[in-house]
Amino acid sequence: MIPDDTTRQALIALIPRLRRFARVLTGNLADADDVVQACLEKAMLSLDQWQPGTRLDSWVFRIARNTWIDDRRRAHNRAGHEDIGELLDLAGEDGVAIAEASAEARMVRAAVDRLPPEQRDVVALVMLEEFSYREAAEALGLPIGTVMSRLSRAKTALAKQIAEEGTTP
Amino acid sequence: MSMAFTDAQLAAFMDGTLEDDALIAAIETAINADPALAERAEALAGASGTAAAVRDAFAPVLEAPVPEHLARILAAPARAEVIDLAAARAARALPPTANDAGGSWRWPQFAAMAASLALGVMIGGPLLTGGGRTAASDGSLVLASADVAAMLDSAPSGQAVDLASLGTGEVVLTFRGADGRLCRQFMIAGAGATGDALACADNAGEWQIEAYGRRAAPVGEMKLAGGDAAPAVVAAVDAIIASDPLVGADEAAALGRK
Repeated sequence: MIPDDTTRQALIALIPRLRRFARVLTGNLADADDVVQACLEKAMLSLDQWQPGTRLDSWVFRIARNTWIDDRRRAHNRAGHEDIGELLDLAGEDGVAIAEASAEARMVRAAVDRLPPEQRDVVALVMLEEFSYREAAEALGLPIGTVMSRLSRAKTALAKQIAEEGTTP
Repeated sequence: MSMAFTDAQLAAFMDGTLEDDALIAAIETAINADPALAERAEALAGASGTAAAVRDAFAPVLEAPVPEHLARILAAPARAEVIDLAAARAARALPPTANDAGGSWRWPQFAAMAASLALGVMIGGPLLTGGGRTAASDGSLVLASADVAAMLDSAPSGQAVDLASLGTGEVVLTFRGADGRLCRQFMIAGAGATGDALACADNAGEWQIEAYGRRAAPVGEMKLAGGDAAPAVVAAVDAIIASDPLVGADEAAALGRK
């Protein structure tokens, strides 16, 4: 199906948020853009599965997350490496350096990157996208209590790391 | 069941200050079984300073220019094949392959994915963003790497140059700009990343970065035919170039009196 212009524009407008979402999932921008690319291709092909009236962003984020999960599974099967993002991140700040990134921002990103994968998508949706717990639960196909507990653990870990890093300049 | 938890416990659960793993798991289970408890917990959630810090930390990603190859997916009609991430990754690791089909002075094709790590390291100051960015208006972009400067000073086009920790560099095009300056388009392939840039010699013979950008990622088999450099760099070359490509003895002579 060829999407109409309105939907296409809406998808284009979503790309920056989609990149941020994928960046949190993958841990670096190069992999994030691979995920975004595959996600947009899939979205274009299966747009008839999106129900008008429901959230387009939520639908696209779900595709991105599934793409990332498939990709990790495949990478794991192929190379025996669990966390490609972590490996790539050793190469430098996001692969693509971000303009004038402050040390603080870099430290917080690194703290997020160290979270377990199942906490990163919850962090991305609730903290960054400001989805409600209910919306995040629906987008991720998880029970709401599980979303809450993952976010709880993520907040604990983040606060700890930020406090530690912050006191040791 | 839901009465088993105090407000303080639920608030701590929501704020991430509860460190009792068993209690966290118990609350999770109870909330999953009881929508009313979910509402009660949600009402007890305080504002999160951590969330604000995380939003700030990732704001640059949100503000970065969208890479052209991503926007292009939506500009074109729906395609018949879906990109295979594994294939894209594999392609990224392929060695360079020559492809002059794109035109007389365009890039040899390198089937490399591009996060311009190497250029980011090299240029410093305003660092690379995803979409590539012309930097001509910003006079501060002086080449920081002596290895890269040495390559631009003397390496002939088409010769791979070891740039130590940056990776491998290669000048792909040498020409005179409309203002008479000697300009060289080059690429740097670092670990899993390829960046493009255009530098022109100023009056003092220092190389100024005119444009830089990331290499577009190959999309399945569809985009490989073009094999273009970063769009910002190609555009900058198009805008500046005013001579035939300089090669061989002409190139060497031009480098001698840049």
